[in-house]
Amino acid sequence: MTGTEIYKRTAVYDREAGTIRLHAPQWKLLLAFDGQRSLAEVALSADVSFAEALPLTERFLTQEWIEEQPITLDQYLKRTGAPNVSALGSVVPPAVVLHEPRAETPAPAPASPLPPPLAPKVAAPPLPIPVIAPVTSRPLPRGPMRLSAVVDYITSLVGNTSLGQLLVYRVFLRVPSDLLQAEDIASVHLVNDTSLIRGEALQKAIANAVNEVAKRPLPDGVYASA
Amino acid sequence: MPLHERDIHYFIEVTVAYLNKITGNEIVLRDPTIEFQSLVFSAYTGLIHLKGDAEGFAYLTASQQFLQHLHAARHHHGRVSEEHSRDLMSDLTGTIVHNVQKRFGPSLKLSEPRVFSTVPDDPIEMPPAVFVQPLMWRKEHAYFVLGLASSETI
Repeated sequence: MTGTEIYKRTAVYDREAGTIRLHAPQWKLLLAFDGQRSLAEVALSADVSFAEALPLTERFLTQEWIEEQPITLDQYLKRTGAPNVSALGSVVPPAVVLHEPRAETPAPAPASPLPPPLAPKVAAPPLPIPVIAPVTSRPLPRGPMRLSAVVDYITSLVGNTSLGQLLVYRVFLRVPSDLLQAEDIASVHLVNDTSLIRGEALQKAIANAVNEVAKRPLPDGVYASA
Repeated sequence: MPLHERDIHYFIEVTVAYLNKITGNEIVLRDPTIEFQSLVFSAYTGLIHLKGDAEGFAYLTASQQFLQHLHAARHHHGRVSEEHSRDLMSDLTGTIVHNVQKRFGPSLKLSEPRVFSTVPDDPIEMPPAVFVQPLMWRKEHAYFVLGLASSETI
C-alpha cells in the first residue's frame, strides 16, 4: 500500500453495517472511504496518521467492507493535476519537464564531505518546452454532487456518527428549501443516500452551508466524475 | 448560541434510554433521515415545543402496536385502549421533558407535552427541515422527530 490507492465501501459493508462494532476513530476512517479520494487523503480527512490508517485499511479489506476502486486515465490525470490529454487532442505531446543545467553553487559547510555534483561538460541546446496552462487557470469539469458523499464527509468531521448526522441536519437547515424542491429532494437519507445533485445553484448552496456550519470546504471528492 | 449537537442528541438519548428501560434494551435505531417537505405522524404523538437555547419542537410518535407492546411490557394485560395509549405517550414525553429540563435548566424552555392521535389538533409550522430518527421494537415503529428553526444554525 502506497497511499495512492482508492477504496470504496462494498455491498458487504452495506449488509453488515448495522452489526459492525468499531471505535469512533475507526468508524471515521471507514466512513471516509468514498471511491474518490486516495488512502492518504482519506487518512488526512479522518485525522488518522498514515501509519495508523494502514493496518485499519488492511482490516477493512480483509473483512471485505472496502474494495479498491480502479480509476480511468482521465480521473488519474485530474488527480495528478495534469490537463486532460484527450480533451486537448492527440497532437499535444504529454507534459515533459525539462531542466536546463545550471552551475551548482557551493553548499555552505556540509556536515559530512560529499563528492561535488557533476557539472555537464557541454550545455544542451535549448529545446522547445511545451506550454501547458496551469491547472488553476481552468477549473476541472465536475459532475453531479453525490449526496451520500456530502453526508459522509460532514459526518466524518465529528468522529461520532450520531453527532455527525445532527451536524448534517444543521447544515441542511441552511439550504434554501426552494432549491431542494426544484431538484425534487424531499429528504436526505443519512446512510447511503443515492441522490445526485445536478443543479449548480443547489450544489453551491450546500457547499456554502457546509462552509458556514462545519467551517470546512467541501472536498472535490463529493463530486462524481463529469 | 445554538445548542451543540451533543446537546441536541441528548433528546434522543433520553428517549431511547427510557424506552430501553421499558423494553429491556430491545429498541433498535434505524438510519435517520432529514425531511424537507413533510412531517411523519403515527397513531399517537407527544409533542413538546422548545424555546430559548433551541427554538422549534420535538415529538415522539408511535404506532398503536408499538404502544400495545409497551403496555404489555409494563405487565398490563389486555388490549391497549385510547386512554392507555395517551397515558403512555404522556408518560414518555413527560420523562423526556423532565430529563431535558434537568440538564439544561432555565436556558431551555419546554412546553407542557401535548398528546394527540393521528394528526395534530393545531397545525404545526414546518421548519426548513426535520430530523427523523426511526425506532423499532418487535417490528413496530416509532419516530423521534426534531424540528429546529433555521435561526438555530446562525
